[in-house]
Amino acid sequence: MTDRIARVAASERIAAATEEAAHTARGARTSWRRARKMVFVAFVAPAVLVLVVVTILPLLYLVVTSFTPLDLTNPASLRWAGLTNYQQLAGDDRFWNSVWVQAQLSFWTVSLQLVIGFAIALLLNGRMRFLELVRSTFLVPMVLPPVVVALIWKILFTPDISILDWTLGLLHLPQPAWLADPRLALWAVIIADVWEWFPFVMLMLLAALQMLPEEPLEAARLDGASKWQAFRYVTLPLLKPAIVVAALFRLIDSVKAFPLIFIMTGGGPGTATEVTNYYAYLEGFSYTYVGYSSAIIVVMLLATLLMSMALLRVSNREVDVE
Amino acid sequence: MLIFVVLCPVLFIVQMSLRTGLDAFQMPPTFPFSVTLQNYVDLIEGKFVRSLVNSTVTSTSTTGLALLLGVPAAYAFSRARIRATGLVSLWTLATRMAPPIAFGIPFFLLYKDLGLIDTRLGLIVIYLTFNLSLVIWMMRAFFDGLPRSLEEAAYIDGAGVVRAFLRITLPLSAPGLATTAIFTFLLSWNDFFYSLILTRSAAVTAPVAIVNFMNYESWEWGKVAAAATVIMLPVVALSIVVRKYLVRGLTAGAVKG
Repeated sequence: MTDRIARVAASERIAAATEEAAHTARGARTSWRRARKMVFVAFVAPAVLVLVVVTILPLLYLVVTSFTPLDLTNPASLRWAGLTNYQQLAGDDRFWNSVWVQAQLSFWTVSLQLVIGFAIALLLNGRMRFLELVRSTFLVPMVLPPVVVALIWKILFTPDISILDWTLGLLHLPQPAWLADPRLALWAVIIADVWEWFPFVMLMLLAALQMLPEEPLEAARLDGASKWQAFRYVTLPLLKPAIVVAALFRLIDSVKAFPLIFIMTGGGPGTATEVTNYYAYLEGFSYTYVGYSSAIIVVMLLATLLMSMALLRVSNREVDVE
Repeated sequence: MLIFVVLCPVLFIVQMSLRTGLDAFQMPPTFPFSVTLQNYVDLIEGKFVRSLVNSTVTSTSTTGLALLLGVPAAYAFSRARIRATGLVSLWTLATRMAPPIAFGIPFFLLYKDLGLIDTRLGLIVIYLTFNLSLVIWMMRAFFDGLPRSLEEAAYIDGAGVVRAFLRITLPLSAPGLATTAIFTFLLSWNDFFYSLILTRSAAVTAPVAIVNFMNYESWEWGKVAAAATVIMLPVVALSIVVRKYLVRGLTAGAVKG
């Protein structure tokens, strides 16, 4: 009897002790959480402050200058002018020409990069060490400083000193003065840009290819699908999100071919390769019309923002599918 | 065959840098050719070294600054489960996507008033526009991959939150730190536009310096080729180190690593 009472008392004591221990642990947890919260605020604050100062404020200032006729040679010109710049922009042929040049550049570079990048990704999709080495060398063009890419292609497209020119001659093909011909200059830029950035598409699609599940392909094979059918109806739909994301990335970045154009053609001959970005640069820094230039860029930024939102939407959906 | 087509342009410029002025333009190219380092010697004797120093100093400083500010923030974002993930990724994406000239104009106007045109400090600060959000984005992904239990254990053992972060989490994320640092360094090193509009002579970086002597000494293609080779060497070497993370870095903001 007493024995039993003693045993119950002992187990109660143990239970109490356990609870107390749990309590202190929970207490430590809460104080840990509280301490962490303070530290987190201190960790985040400086970075956010700097980000606001270096990104948001300048962009707001850009919007403000886009409403002024600001001219670098005349500081007094920083005054409100309403929508004048935008109205002028709407009727500016040179601006619309630059949009058209950009549209052609974007269309051709993105489509060619997709086709070439995808083809090579399919070719190199495997786990052999050799393929890995090949893949690494393909990365070189896109990591090179853009200036170096531009210089390389400028030399290659210059007649007499270029191995490209010599090879074309050897094959009895025409040896055009690429960069001096208004019809070819844009193509010279397109070729250089495709060379620089197809590895990006290749890399993204390779990553997607290697993450594809095995089962659907196997099922297709068991059902008697041919290789082409399996690719067309299984692989391609599964890769679609990755392809769209890669294309949107390249589309948005195709606006940034600035170093290529600056070094290879200077926007010329005439305005044959003058994209909007470059036109804005000329207005702002060659002709000093910063106000007008800002208006051009605000329009460009809006277009970029729309495309970025499309990109986020697509890539979020892709994550959801997973 | 494919490798050859892709790399041929690069090799072309490297071999060009090793030839004497006239030899570089012999078509068809003669093999073997007499290798000369004269172009590189000329470079060292010229002003190019100064621009290389500028490039190195600005890229390194901006990387250090971005890490100093961005790494703690990334840690907080990773651990606090703040519902700001969407905001961070939109911000990262926006600063990455915006054409550089969008920041170029306001910074130019501001620097003119502050006397920061043609200074290294000016470049270091403007490089933060793309570096800082990149650091936050990349490091947060790395921190997400580290277990929290270790930090909690350290705290129960009496370490403070900051101490637990510095002593436990940070050493564990060393590979991530290195990758992120290389990325920001490369982006800053490769920059052309900001250096073009914000520097004149004293703070000119290597990519702009090349273009300058292409304009003034256009007959010396050998020297241009040598300079191009010099600025691409570190880039190629470093990107081989981080090739596994290349896609993650280049698509920061939109695609999960």
